Amino acid sequence: MKKRLFTIFSALLLSVLLTIPVFAAGDLPRLVDAADLLSDSEEMDLLEELDEISERQQVDIVVVTVDSLEGESAMEYADDVFDYYSYGFGDERDGILFLISIEERDWAISTAGYGITAVTDAGREYMAEMFTSDLREGNYLAAFTTFAELCDDFVTQARTGEPYDVGNFPQEPFNVGVSLAIALAAGLVISLIVTGIMRGGLKSVHSQQTADNYVKKGSMRVEKEKDLFLYRHIDRRERPKESSSSGGSSTHTSSSGTTHGGGSGKF
Amino acid sequence: MAAIQEYKCPCCGGAIAFDSALQKMKCPFCDTEFEMETLASYDSELQKEQADDMKWETDAGEEWQDGEADGLNSYVCRSCGGEIACDSNTAAASCPFCGNPVVMMGRFSGTLKPNYVIPFKLDKKAAKAALKRHYDGKRLLPKVFKDQNHINEVKGVYVPFWLFDADADVDMRYKATKVRVWSDSKYNYTETSFFAVSRGGSIGFERVPVDGSVKMPDDLMESIEPFDFSEMVDFQTAYLAGFMADKYDVDAEQSAERANERIRQSVEDAFKATVTGYETVTKETGSIQLQNGKVKYALLPVWILNTTWNGENYLFAMNGQTGKMVGDLPLDKAAYKKWLFGLTGIISTVIFAASYLIWLL
Repeated sequence: MKKRLFTIFSALLLSVLLTIPVFAAGDLPRLVDAADLLSDSEEMDLLEELDEISERQQVDIVVVTVDSLEGESAMEYADDVFDYYSYGFGDERDGILFLISIEERDWAISTAGYGITAVTDAGREYMAEMFTSDLREGNYLAAFTTFAELCDDFVTQARTGEPYDVGNFPQEPFNVGVSLAIALAAGLVISLIVTGIMRGGLKSVHSQQTADNYVKKGSMRVEKEKDLFLYRHIDRRERPKESSSSGGSSTHTSSSGTTHGGGSGKF
Repeated sequence: MAAIQEYKCPCCGGAIAFDSALQKMKCPFCDTEFEMETLASYDSELQKEQADDMKWETDAGEEWQDGEADGLNSYVCRSCGGEIACDSNTAAASCPFCGNPVVMMGRFSGTLKPNYVIPFKLDKKAAKAALKRHYDGKRLLPKVFKDQNHINEVKGVYVPFWLFDADADVDMRYKATKVRVWSDSKYNYTETSFFAVSRGGSIGFERVPVDGSVKMPDDLMESIEPFDFSEMVDFQTAYLAGFMADKYDVDAEQSAERANERIRQSVEDAFKATVTGYETVTKETGSIQLQNGKVKYALLPVWILNTTWNGENYLFAMNGQTGKMVGDLPLDKAAYKKWLFGLTGIISTVIFAASYLIWLL
């Protein structure tokens, strides 16, 4: 822990020396680039954006980069950074922290307070889809900017009372190719059915399978009816586990005992 | 000690043994358990099985009285070999089945006299009108086909039919299952109960018709069914005036096979319908015993039109009693493609526009 604190502290020191820090709710700036992935000017631009969004939304949006997780999981690390450096607005510590570690190629999002409400499990997966390809290709600034803008968007949406969640996501752009292909396929199938019916109209000769028309009226008598039970088989299958598609946010408790939401992944 | 009785497992067919610990019969192969009485009862059902007996007295038709057939002329088609009869006042020039010229054979002779006849009820005009209606609304029918048709050559023919009467004694055995589904907190359960279901009884059939002419396709004749046999009368040569009569060339014995097929299917359907309350019902075995199987020979009225188009022969038939018109029509391939691609284009455009609209909303 000490080593990690030292790393971050030195990074902080560095940023204090190099840039003009903006101290907001917490004691640290909202961008800590310990892995030094961004250039100075990029850092300034991103920090400005993070500060602007955080102040406006009253929810801390934080980006932290490190070289290594020192054997901890990305999630624990992100939670600890959030807790030890007192990020978050108000009593509930409203905030969303995004951590990436270069050595393990892990990312994690740790949320607290209103951040838990705004970024649901499904919402986090949606975010991950948006930024992982940029992370993978090394476009860190683009990935962080995407994250910041998504957070802004997610918090705004959550304030309406309906956070982005299962069945409630920002609309994706209209996909002309896929829609056209589906329309053509459906059109062809329907046309085949319609013309098939028209073709069928040309055919009127069919063999009769039965002699039902020639059954003497009332001649059918059932004299023996016997239903004999033989045996039974019971098939037992384990019930499928409840899937998480019900929406909402799952939470866990960090090492310092605070409640966090969020999750992690690879890039 | 009773004689050793070996039972077969109804589930897997293996030899089954008594399990003294369970006090039940248990199959050593599939572990299914049975009550003793169940197996005994099941076994006795198996013993009762017997083969189908679908025999007919095929002495249909009557001998001609002296002089009765004198007023009939016989014609033979040079092409298909069909032999038709007309009364001496009706001249036949072409074969109703294939359209080729016929030659007069002289006096009608031989074969049996029909027992019954259903007289023509609809005339040539009705037949022509029915044919026109038959073409209507068929968008894929080549236009030339409609125009080129020699609709005038429609001919009234008495087609020979064998009529089969019988009562059937039926014994059927089915395997049926009931399924019950429930679940507790950890598992979903599906319980399938197997039943041996027996149904026995009788059912009567009256005048199941099978056409006795080689030149009339069976499916074409079955398609213009049903005939109303309440209007059937005893045969008189006078009914043939103005029409042609085909002579049977498939005898009653050969036709019985087709009648049996249809009767068997009807019996199976009717008795299966009495097995209710199960999820699945599968026929295991069954036997049909025909009683008093009798065959009659009758002439039934059919309007026939024969057309050749693009080297193919098209035969249309109309029930001369009910007016039911059948006959397969050719397909206009160009029109078919036009419709297929045209519709695909229109429907696809509509779906695409609709999906865009839904996206916009």
